[in-house]
Amino acid sequence: MNITQINVTIAQMLDYTTPILFAALCGVLSENSGVVNIGLDGIMRFGAFFGLLGAYFSHSPWVGLLLGIAVGCAVGALHAFITIRWNGDQTVSGVAVNVIALGLMTYLLEYIFSTTGYSPQLENYFGAQAYRVHLPFLAKIPLLGALSNLSVMIWLAFILTIVLHVLLYHTVLGLRMRTCGENPKAATTLGINVFRVRWFAVIAGAALAGIGGVALSTSSFSGFSDSMPNGIGFIGLAAMIFGKWTPFGAMGAALLFGTGQIVQSIIAVTGIAPNLAPGLTLILPYVLTLAVLAGFVGRSVAPAADGLPYYKEQR
Amino acid sequence: MKALEVREVSKMFPGNLANDRISFSVEKGEIFAIVGENGAGKTTLMNIIYGIYTPSAGTIFVNEKEVKIHSVEDAIRLRMGMVHQEFMLIPRFSVTENIVVGDEPRKGIFFDYTRAVREVRELSERVSLTVDAQATTGDLPVGIQQRVEILKVLRRGAEILIFDEPTAVLTPEETADLFVTMRKLQEEGKTILFISHKLKEVMEIADRIAVLRRGKLQGIVNKKDTNEEELARMMVGRNVVLEIPKLDVPVGDVAFACHDLHVKNSRGYEALKGVSFEVRGGEIVGVAGVQGNGQDELVNAMIGFSRPVSGSMELNRKSMHMVTTAQLRKEGMSYITEDRARRGLVMPYTVRDNAIMGQHLNKPFSRGLRMDYEKVAEFAEGKVKEYDIRPGDIYDTAGSLSGGNQQKLILARELSLPHNFLIASQPTRGLDVGATEFVYGKLLEEKKAGKAILLISLELSEILGLSDRILVMFDGHIVGETTPDKTTEEALGLLMLGVGIDRKVQS
Repeated sequence: MNITQINVTIAQMLDYTTPILFAALCGVLSENSGVVNIGLDGIMRFGAFFGLLGAYFSHSPWVGLLLGIAVGCAVGALHAFITIRWNGDQTVSGVAVNVIALGLMTYLLEYIFSTTGYSPQLENYFGAQAYRVHLPFLAKIPLLGALSNLSVMIWLAFILTIVLHVLLYHTVLGLRMRTCGENPKAATTLGINVFRVRWFAVIAGAALAGIGGVALSTSSFSGFSDSMPNGIGFIGLAAMIFGKWTPFGAMGAALLFGTGQIVQSIIAVTGIAPNLAPGLTLILPYVLTLAVLAGFVGRSVAPAADGLPYYKEQR
Repeated sequence: MKALEVREVSKMFPGNLANDRISFSVEKGEIFAIVGENGAGKTTLMNIIYGIYTPSAGTIFVNEKEVKIHSVEDAIRLRMGMVHQEFMLIPRFSVTENIVVGDEPRKGIFFDYTRAVREVRELSERVSLTVDAQATTGDLPVGIQQRVEILKVLRRGAEILIFDEPTAVLTPEETADLFVTMRKLQEEGKTILFISHKLKEVMEIADRIAVLRRGKLQGIVNKKDTNEEELARMMVGRNVVLEIPKLDVPVGDVAFACHDLHVKNSRGYEALKGVSFEVRGGEIVGVAGVQGNGQDELVNAMIGFSRPVSGSMELNRKSMHMVTTAQLRKEGMSYITEDRARRGLVMPYTVRDNAIMGQHLNKPFSRGLRMDYEKVAEFAEGKVKEYDIRPGDIYDTAGSLSGGNQQKLILARELSLPHNFLIASQPTRGLDVGATEFVYGKLLEEKKAGKAILLISLELSEILGLSDRILVMFDGHIVGETTPDKTTEEALGLLMLGVGIDRKVQS
């Protein structure tokens, strides 16, 4: 295995990690304020399709990104409306979002492009050389060389991880969000508007999931496929749990899961364990998450009020 | 000057008038108590004043000016602060984070934690309420957590402080500390509203006392002109016997015995470190101790929830090694829990279903695979009458009942199971005088019937009044055994804190 091969493998791993990380960050943001959003898989699907749509018709992936964020916010607002305004069951609402995304995107794909399965391919997408972040000074350094030529979306994911960490743990808003996620009643007695904070967290989180979808269809791939996001939203949720509901924890987990995705290529390149069944490496994330939930690798405890609707005048 | 006045305030909940035209005023610098049974509307009233609930009618005046309090922000702006019954603290947060959240020192959009810690330290020194500003709140004892709550409201400049049942979770020593704090606040000119159903405490600390019953104000009295009996009568609407009569019952055979019992708590730490005692028929054995000294682990082991690490237990002289809760119950054990919501009842289920839980598989309630709900209903109706469980509809959910009626339902069920040994774990926790009186009466009836009773309680007056023998628990050991006529609350209190105990002798 030479340096180029290693760099390519790392870059590939980061490519897989990115959508998982966006999804996980969506979960971290939303659930720290107390709202479970299992609809983030569906929101990613929205983001993936509309990202492609924007990029395809404008010939600029940036427009796709903006459209993906807008659609993410809109679907997030729907989830917020159901679960915060009307105290609907968060799981049911999330499942509904997933089901809507499944049917609606397939329909739109066929209606707009008159194709099934795959959208037309993009020429201008974040994965294309023209849209990559070129850092030639890194190219010659082993391992870091992988970072010399990455899609802007990959960088965005890692930058947003830091931003989210600062937001949650070093800003006033973050402290208040965590208060709402731990004890909304306490937040109310302190004069914090729980509903407003949760609306913000859910919509901002959904925007992240939307970006994750855009990263899939315009960065990892150069088009939308009807199987997107292929459960990545749920892997993201697993990464969030594995990462104990923190941005950096989620990032570590997403990197691990991303590595799980490329084990196949590593096997192909290195020739280690050639007889390992391909499916086995893909279930790694789930096995790890189960292990975490069962408490084998240190306990992971959700915010205390995570998933609970908040009624202000409840007796 | 009147710091606070409410005029004709009412609050309507669906199907329930929680506050009915209540009017009173509180002078600046006064400690004003509001007493009433559970469900009398005290907490609702406070939540209205503090802006959590919107009143259905009425007006509120602060510093003799009419105000509209639509939200907690409004209340805070009017310099009010509330120390809630269930603490509004986040266990994972540091003390500082808990105190400043909602009104944080900031640098731009950033939270200035260093300055927050400094401010909390300064505040805690100024009002001499000592706390460790950087400690994780959930690790602190309850009394200290309450201090954090008080600091939280003081930091927001509260002039009117509302204490909602603040002593419910405190030990006698912590309560004494709290009263010192309250007096100090009073000296500084703060106005204090003290919500309670513990008349002894109200008589100790309050200047004036308002009594609520079923949402209505029964009257406002000066502490000087009243006494506990009068207050109890106003609260319950009839004479209440707070004195517990002494019953002499011949002591029978050993019903329960344990020897050198060691039990780990949920975190794997040995919380019960070798306990031996026995309980005989016709006697009440009281276990006194500050919460968290092994009582929970003892109960859990006794009811088969957790397995002792070592040691033995016998029920009616049969070894109860590795048996299930069901077997223990079959062998004659009943259990009254303090945790009505999680252990005592299934809140969303009806009174009817809760009444037969535990014997739901027995005849006549169940025949083969089929439940005979007619028999179940008949049984439940009988118990509702016998125990005067209100409102009295067996199809109400257990969760809709008041605390006292929930406890009556638990008693009805547990005492109707065939048993000769009863564990009563804090059987009057959170109950008002009326319901407490009822529970005491039932326990004494049990004793008269020759049942063996283990009474675990944090209330020393309860332990002293009911028990024939008293065991004192401290740090997982039984550090003393005495009888009510040979000890006092003070002496017990010291023992409970481990004062004057040579640990080597004990273990």
